[in-house]
Amino acid sequence: MTTDLNPAPAAPPGAQARVPLGQRMAGLGGNARQYGIFGALVVIVLLFQVLTDGKLLLANNVAALFQQNAYVMILAIGMVMVIVAGHIDLSVGSVVAFVGGIVAVSMRDMGLPWLVAVLLGLAVGGVVGAWQGYWVAYVGIPAFIVTLAGMLIFRGLALVIVGETVAGLPSQFIAISKGSLPNFLGYANNMDVVTILIGVLAIGAIVVSQVRARRSLRKHELYVEPVGLFATKLALVAIGIGVLTVILSFSAGGTPTVLVIVGVLIVAYTFLMGRTVFGRHIYAIGGNRLAASLSGVDTRRVDFWIFVNMGVLAGAAAIVTTARAGAAIASAGQNFELDAIAACFIGGAAVTGGIGRISGAIVGALIMGVLNMGLSILSVDPSWQMAIKGLVLLFAVAFDLINKRRAGTR
Amino acid sequence: MSTANDVPLLSLRGLGKRFGAVEALVDVDLDVYAHEVVALVGDNGAGKSTVAKMISGVLTPDTGLIEIDGETVTIPTPIAAHALGIATVFQELALADNLDVTSNLFLGRELHRGRVRDDETMEQIARKVLRDLNSRIPSVKSPLSTLSKGQRQSVAIARTLIGRPRIVVLDEPTAALSVSQTAEVLTHIERLRDLGLGVVLISHNMNDVRAVSDRIIVLRHGRNNGEFDAATVSHEAILAAITGAPPTRELDPTAFLPTPH
Repeated sequence: MTTDLNPAPAAPPGAQARVPLGQRMAGLGGNARQYGIFGALVVIVLLFQVLTDGKLLLANNVAALFQQNAYVMILAIGMVMVIVAGHIDLSVGSVVAFVGGIVAVSMRDMGLPWLVAVLLGLAVGGVVGAWQGYWVAYVGIPAFIVTLAGMLIFRGLALVIVGETVAGLPSQFIAISKGSLPNFLGYANNMDVVTILIGVLAIGAIVVSQVRARRSLRKHELYVEPVGLFATKLALVAIGIGVLTVILSFSAGGTPTVLVIVGVLIVAYTFLMGRTVFGRHIYAIGGNRLAASLSGVDTRRVDFWIFVNMGVLAGAAAIVTTARAGAAIASAGQNFELDAIAACFIGGAAVTGGIGRISGAIVGALIMGVLNMGLSILSVDPSWQMAIKGLVLLFAVAFDLINKRRAGTR
Repeated sequence: MSTANDVPLLSLRGLGKRFGAVEALVDVDLDVYAHEVVALVGDNGAGKSTVAKMISGVLTPDTGLIEIDGETVTIPTPIAAHALGIATVFQELALADNLDVTSNLFLGRELHRGRVRDDETMEQIARKVLRDLNSRIPSVKSPLSTLSKGQRQSVAIARTLIGRPRIVVLDEPTAALSVSQTAEVLTHIERLRDLGLGVVLISHNMNDVRAVSDRIIVLRHGRNNGEFDAATVSHEAILAAITGAPPTRELDPTAFLPTPH
């Protein structure tokens, strides 16, 4: 769409930079919270690193951390979009079992090649999402009810399809979750060169894209953050990825395949939420549904596609989960919806909708994952693990809320 | 009121609307010319907001015609209204608190290249529009939740300028604003007129109406009940038309005494 208005004539330099300090802090508010979540992750990692006598960050444990938690991160990406739009999806765990069953049966009993089965799984997930999206968007039934029904429907269907365990899946399929990128470049000082290369490329891509974005803002004389803050942020990100790369390069397999899948999804969905019209409309609907629709946003269409997308991602999570287990079981995916929802809320999403980020949800998922792994290494009883994770969720959201309230009454 | 251009920008002819047994509007006429602020006043339930919603495509009239530049049009949706050059500031502010100023200005009509939003161009236009209105919004990147009520109303009015509208409808834009905020909004309305737009101002604040409007049209029980030149009309005459009381020049002290038998 275009507009007749001519772009503004260049403002005098520095015009936009003269933002009052209070306003600047307010503008930073959203970001400051984001930094807080990253900080919490770092603190928890360091805490468990000490408590476990350095076992947490052993190369193979870090690789396992991603392999074990890939499903939460994939689901959390879809879930944060659902939550930002002001909905919820309780059905994803059951959908994981249902799609996992279909994928496994299609390979074992119908002899489909694994890649075709994977595509089938994603498609079935999309159809499930379209089914739920139809009821939410076009009939107007609250998502809580629709997906509560879906939780029962798809768990039931999973039992019908899977019956007992469906095992004996192709090794290429299992490698999706258990495998690593082939280290065809060999080793240098015991470090997998492929992993190092990916890490360097990732850091390079981030630095280049950030510097470019900043230069573009400059060119259009729009507000840019102070150079010190910008550089510090970039340096911290680069160090974080660098440390992770080095640790992973010492692991048995190098870079886990699922980490690449999750990484690609994170980049793609961050772009979708941050830079596209569709993403903007999701935030607008969550912020003020009536305003969005009065402004000409097709709220029903957006709602529908959010659920289709959640379905496809649930399909992806089903593939990862089934591959990791090496078999489909009807009870797979139990409580996955709660893991994903918890990751979103720990990651700063608002219960009322309108607020939440992909990066936050991923960090939320990692916080839960690190807690799981750390407590397991310490051989804490699983019942206590559950209670501790519950408390972390409660305190994370309470901390967020109290901070927000304080900022509001300032 | 006479203007240079004889054909009104917007013309409502014999509008009628019924909600069940209630006749919300009966045979309402209204003309708006360019460079003009027309105030639509009336008591609660007189049908002012119904008229606004018909112009902005939220409601469709049961009877009557809407003409733009003398040509009959139908306005089935808010998007159709926008395409016809009609922009509306609704009584319930149609803004998203969680988004920044630029995002709100362009909500539902974001500029984009391919699939990617053109945030930079949008920000530049946002700054220009706010400057045109002489608005005192600190930054186009401020989230709406950090702005005052008056600033939010400025954003809502600035929103109407995106996409170059010709007719702006403002439904109770000064309700619940402080005195200084009201003054700022009234300045914005004058700016809209100076920019050559036709403005329909709906309000039941007589001071605001008399301060900025050129013509005042009174609705009572869904019907036209008088049209006045804002420059010359007396406060009492408007009030009389609104309440339906006979226009009294001075208060008659005997009016309140019990009638002797």
